[in-house]
Amino acid sequence: MSKTEITNQIRRLRFEHGEMTQQQLADKAGVTRQTIIAIEAGKYAPSLPLAFRIARAFGLPLEEVFQYDNQANVPPTQ
Amino acid sequence: MNRAQKIAWAVVITISAALAVSLVAVGILTWYVGMPRALLGFCFMSLSGFGGLAPLVFKKDPGAAHADERDELFHRRAAIAGFATAYLVFGAACMIPFFVLGPKAMVPVRWLPTIYMGAGLSHYFVYSLTILSQYGWRASDVEN
Repeated sequence: MSKTEITNQIRRLRFEHGEMTQQQLADKAGVTRQTIIAIEAGKYAPSLPLAFRIARAFGLPLEEVFQYDNQANVPPTQ
Repeated sequence: MNRAQKIAWAVVITISAALAVSLVAVGILTWYVGMPRALLGFCFMSLSGFGGLAPLVFKKDPGAAHADERDELFHRRAAIAGFATAYLVFGAACMIPFFVLGPKAMVPVRWLPTIYMGAGLSHYFVYSLTILSQYGWRASDVEN
């Protein structure tokens, strides 16, 4: 599956939050561990409610966890 | 590998095995009794029904959530692909005899359940393949 335009800091934040495991984060966000793995790897762009739940699990605002890659939508210059 | 992948693999393997056994049976029966009685070999396709037992065999995944929005998305896409395939199979089963045999030919009614079963099997086969292609064909859920 191709990479999404959404980047995230989940992996770094997990380690900064007491080496939180993917399963612990999944349980807090109410999703499966595979979904956390896919989001971390940039293979799946979460819905807005899920993105908020993940950000809330870290106690951070959404934009500190997820970033939108603006350059991905810019057409190449001739 | 999650439960959906395991079930999908079981369905793909079961249907493929049933198809292989059926084709061998039809080949052997063609040699001994000839067509069209050799088509009885396709009775072995009923073995694919064992794929329906897969949800009873594979336990639920660990963790609080067993399915989420990503799983729903994958299953929805797989269902669309499965139904599209079943529709094409049913359409082909209706139109190919029409064009090959002509509009005045008649098809025995007993073929209708077979066409229905073929469309259903193709649905489950493509559904499972689509599930596997989205999740990945192998286990890739290593903690890192």
